[in-house]
Amino acid sequence: MTTLAIAGIGVCATGMIDWTQARSVLEADMQTALDPLPRLAPECLPPVERRRANATTRLAISAAMQAVEGMLPEDIAQLPTVFSSSDGDGDVLASMLVALAQPQVVLSPTLFHNSVFNAPAGYWSIGSRAHAASITVSAGAASFVAGLREARGQVLARGAPVLYIAFDAPFPAALASFARSAEPFACALRLQPATESGGHKYGRIDRPGPERAEDERDEPLPSVLRRRFFANSAADALPLLLAIARRRRARIAFPWLDGSRLWLDYAP
Amino acid sequence: MRSLPIAASTMTNACGVGTRQVLRAMQAGVSGLRRNDFAPAAALATWIGRVDAVDASPMPAEYAAYDCRNNRLARLALEQDGFVAAVRGAAQRHGANRVGVFLGTTTSGILATELAYRAIVRQETEGGDVLSKELYQCRHNLFATTEFVRAYLHLSGTAATVSTACSSSAKVFATAARAIAADDCDAAVVGGVDSLALSTLYGFHSLELLSRHPCRPCDGNRDGISIGEAAGFALLDPAASSAVHLEGAGESSDAYHMSSPHPEGAGAARAMRSALHDATVTAADIDYINLHGTASRPNDAAEDRAILSVFGATTPVSSSKGWTGHTLGAAGIMGALVAELALRQQWMPGTQNCECVDPALACNVVLASQPWRMRRVLCNAFGFGGTNCSLVLGIAP
Repeated sequence: MTTLAIAGIGVCATGMIDWTQARSVLEADMQTALDPLPRLAPECLPPVERRRANATTRLAISAAMQAVEGMLPEDIAQLPTVFSSSDGDGDVLASMLVALAQPQVVLSPTLFHNSVFNAPAGYWSIGSRAHAASITVSAGAASFVAGLREARGQVLARGAPVLYIAFDAPFPAALASFARSAEPFACALRLQPATESGGHKYGRIDRPGPERAEDERDEPLPSVLRRRFFANSAADALPLLLAIARRRRARIAFPWLDGSRLWLDYAP
Repeated sequence: MRSLPIAASTMTNACGVGTRQVLRAMQAGVSGLRRNDFAPAAALATWIGRVDAVDASPMPAEYAAYDCRNNRLARLALEQDGFVAAVRGAAQRHGANRVGVFLGTTTSGILATELAYRAIVRQETEGGDVLSKELYQCRHNLFATTEFVRAYLHLSGTAATVSTACSSSAKVFATAARAIAADDCDAAVVGGVDSLALSTLYGFHSLELLSRHPCRPCDGNRDGISIGEAAGFALLDPAASSAVHLEGAGESSDAYHMSSPHPEGAGAARAMRSALHDATVTAADIDYINLHGTASRPNDAAEDRAILSVFGATTPVSSSKGWTGHTLGAAGIMGALVAELALRQQWMPGTQNCECVDPALACNVVLASQPWRMRRVLCNAFGFGGTNCSLVLGIAP
């Protein structure tokens, strides 16, 4: 079984504009208020694309940018990406539904091309000139792990790094009956094959060993975080981020298909 | 990659329900396209590839929560060509929890939400869905059809929806191959399902990409796409024997524009080269190319440039979109299954509706279907966001 090294990390969410802030939230047994995110304007996007890109796309890209900090542009351009999301872009969806309900349907072309599920991947590739493979996956409540599995499959297949970005954002009030997440959350992990010589600045993840999964070792997530990011599949990364922030070994249960759980081991 | 037997497959589109009907229509040169008669979007003067049988295929009561056009289309397709029985065999061989499901779609069952929302705005009271958590999770959400197919096939292995616009159901082959190699599963059902929806019909209309005629890929007078609906599935099983194998996959990003292809097809060329490399073959080993070939003016031109740069101008190429329309999230697997059909039948499909090849195109566009000796073929699927995927399929050695 091949271990994955976490070489880069990024977070963008309510109360956590970047990994530095996320770490301080997670290191402390946080009781502080989680401030809403300001309008995000990821620098890697050219001005015209920055204007066109929706909030959800800018959220995902803001996390992605942190995870490639310090890399050369030509290396970023060759980094394959895996995006995952349960719900995509609720703002775009709501705008489309309003337009499609009018007696005379007039849809904006930009709105339409922003409606594809892989819009964040498209904008990221334009902004970072990334011409490598990119995929966007979804698996309902299991979306975070589905994306992580895809990323792992790519690292194993190519023996090369992959940038994994998980994102989900709130739906507008008009779609409240869909009962989706109330807060935006995105995180990015730059994953690569683990080697003896390092490259795992933020630790390593692996499938659990032969011990029974029941000997649970993960630290419970502070309830305020669990409540705030309820129904946000990308925020399923939080227990992993908690272990990374506290530099502690952990065996973590992630939501998986059919209401089951899938376990991963983390080592700093 | 390690080549993977295509142990079973099936496709349903505007040309027919099940692969045999589709092949018969293609061999007879009969297009499945018709004047737009899709009632919720009847105002659009375009042609569509509609699957009539969807309307007459109610969902069994136990799957009532999943009842929507997209899932009905998925079920209709699953029930053809002995596909369900083939998957049952794979589940017996490997265990139901070791067979993965990877499906591509762009809009899943969004039509249900579009109509429910419209009914609210227009204060219509009769029929239709109401906006609810169940509507979202079981019908509209991108994972809904994958979840339904997995349940319908009684599978409990790994699963994901791939949604990368019109390359979605080509990428599922690459994803499934990686999942098998990474030991996430032993075999996989891959597929693509996309049904007619307001957002895609009006969306392509807003981009002025819809033709007012049946689409004419590669024709000098081509003036846009015809949207179709389709569902297709394939069973990839290393333990099975099959005449046709998936031999390689290549993926790339244009990094150029959200909805226009790179004019020189640079990203498309990278995907094709990468697929050849993955299959450890050269351009000369490819006997036929099934084009993405949507009949949009810039797309066909860019794909032509890309193929010219990788293969030169002699390899025969054709597009099947004149038969089925552009089936968006299902386009990738339609291309792959036409490629499989071509290999099995040693028959090369022509380019339906193309009367006179655009003189600006350099590739060897085949107009008339004909018998053709083929050992190995390539198919293309490209999408918004600059996403590209090419697959190599070959006759097993």
